[in-house]
Amino acid sequence: MADRRRVNGPVGPTAPPVYNTAAHKPIAKEKADNSIRKIFLKTGVTPSASGSAYLELEDPKANSPSSTSLKLTCTVHGPRALPRSAPFSPHIILSTHVKYAPFATKQRRGYLRDSSERDLGVHLETALRGAIIADRWPKSGVDIIVTIIEGDQDRNAPENKSDEGWDMMNVLSGCITVASAAIADAGIDCVDTVAGGVAALVARQPNSPPAIVLDPAVSEYHKVFAACCVAYLPTRDEITNIWFKGQLPGADSMLYNRMVERSLVACRNANRVVITALNETVRPGKESA
Amino acid sequence: MASTQQQHLLLSPAELAYLHITLSQQPPIRADGRTATQFRPLTAETGILPGTNGSARVCFADGTEAVVGIKAEVERTRKQGIDYAKQRRPRNKQKQQQKKIAEEEVEVGDGESEDGDEEGAVHEPTGDSDWVKMTVEIPGLRDDDSGTVFLATMLSEALLADGEFAKKLWINRRFHWKLYLDIILISSPLSYPLPLLSLTTHLALLATRLPRLKSEADEDPMFDDDWAASQFIYPRQGDDNTSPSTSGTRPPITLLVMAVGDNIIFDPSKEELAVADSALAVSVGETTGDADGAVDVDEEGKASRNLRLLSVRTIDPPSRLTAPGIPNAVNAAAWGQGAVVAKDPGARAAETDEVEGVWKAPRGGAKIAVLGAMVAKVLEKGGVADEVLEGLYGVELG
Repeated sequence: MADRRRVNGPVGPTAPPVYNTAAHKPIAKEKADNSIRKIFLKTGVTPSASGSAYLELEDPKANSPSSTSLKLTCTVHGPRALPRSAPFSPHIILSTHVKYAPFATKQRRGYLRDSSERDLGVHLETALRGAIIADRWPKSGVDIIVTIIEGDQDRNAPENKSDEGWDMMNVLSGCITVASAAIADAGIDCVDTVAGGVAALVARQPNSPPAIVLDPAVSEYHKVFAACCVAYLPTRDEITNIWFKGQLPGADSMLYNRMVERSLVACRNANRVVITALNETVRPGKESA
Repeated sequence: MASTQQQHLLLSPAELAYLHITLSQQPPIRADGRTATQFRPLTAETGILPGTNGSARVCFADGTEAVVGIKAEVERTRKQGIDYAKQRRPRNKQKQQQKKIAEEEVEVGDGESEDGDEEGAVHEPTGDSDWVKMTVEIPGLRDDDSGTVFLATMLSEALLADGEFAKKLWINRRFHWKLYLDIILISSPLSYPLPLLSLTTHLALLATRLPRLKSEADEDPMFDDDWAASQFIYPRQGDDNTSPSTSGTRPPITLLVMAVGDNIIFDPSKEELAVADSALAVSVGETTGDADGAVDVDEEGKASRNLRLLSVRTIDPPSRLTAPGIPNAVNAAAWGQGAVVAKDPGARAAETDEVEGVWKAPRGGAKIAVLGAMVAKVLEKGGVADEVLEGLYGVELG
């Protein structure tokens, strides 16, 4: 006699469906190749830290409930005195931690930092060390902690499509921008506000020619050939960190130089957001009026 | 980087200033008498570890030594869900095209479910970056130290950047090789160990051999147990088992380049790195171009080696952590405390301007033109990368 009181599961084993193609086509607002996604940046969000900032990126394909794709929060603790046991340092000791929240990406992240997070931390440290005027704080240290609340991934993408780690570039550029705002919020002297930007060489369709785009939302493109993340000091016109990887057609460095140039444009755009956000903090309400 | 470098760099500000001035001369004068593009002499051998698929040892003249052992294991390719798109009937042309795209993307999918309607489709090898695992061990550093992790990621990034390497590890749709590259630095690092580790890894990969596959298609893999019949991952030109797609490619090398002023200096020693304005790690790979492939074979790949940029990373130069010198003008011990300090005691802490011969840690970033020139110099035909690859080509594979 069949059990009619309960809704029973199927008799045989089943496999959950995994879709190869996303349920929708990314038709939404077409982002121009030479613009970056909208950034929301706010400083002073964590009262207990000496400086903090929060950054959000707009998702151009706004059919997910939150319509954002990258959420970062950064706290800066310090500058504070080094412990007595620490050796003398003529400069501020900078330590950066980048951590994905366990739920930030499709693949769950553990609580311990894995190698990609440590790697991001080193990149961020390099980017910031050039901007901070380190010799104004001898014998002191500062901790910069960036938590990635939501990674820059397409949650509608099929499970079996590997992302090849291109989103790391976007995450890093976000980390640099948010950390720069948080450092300014903490009142640590910098030569300039550093900002991060990404340019990538992508093909939109399987047979379209490669083109350089700014701030690539990786899931929108058929293939990413190469990407370049740069940390830039606009008023000094200097680069503190550069991270390029990928495969360029052609042997010369011309295309590489062009990608760096394009990512500087993204940096300048991001820097404008940082400046506006900091102005907002200093003179609340004035900017909007 | 900073933590790898902090150990006992005992140079006074005066010494640093001296080094910086000599290195910014035209041409730069290096403490060890090398030219700007010259490498330190090194000895290299391959095939030193009989228990590995490939191994190499490189020893620099200053006594730093690295050993790389590469071991390969057969691993079942992770099942990535059932491919419903393939089972669906194509309805129209557009759908068919979509299906084609989908097929390309999920090649690694499990074979068993859709073996029936494959109609002899040729399967292009695919690769996944998870198939290569690289670990770096540096004595005196924890293996989860950020600097070590950074080195390992940099080296594996260069290896995987063009996506070609992982394809070499493809066996069939159900199995693949998993390659473990274990890099051990025997001595404590006297300079930033990146070039040493990269060159050793390059040689070990050149010497790596995998057993010859005897089984066909998607069967459980079975291999020839004759080691003499095994195949190099990177076949050399002129080998009889060279497949056309892989001939001529070589593993990447990562070069450490630094800039002092406008001078670009290769393979810096620790002391030179301590005064660098900026430092870059540039990874280049070698390819035979598609168009002039035939020419390459004729000339034994010597004259027309095609270098390709794979990755670039800024290295945080340890010069930012060095102690600054104090110019005589503000130094009380040199009777230099002038009127400024007397008037405004707070000004003592303020920075002094650049004074000739007084060391000051560099501040800010690097100029774009300098960074561009560094990369261009590496990629230059007949340049340093070319020379290094040529030198490594001469190492006999054991």
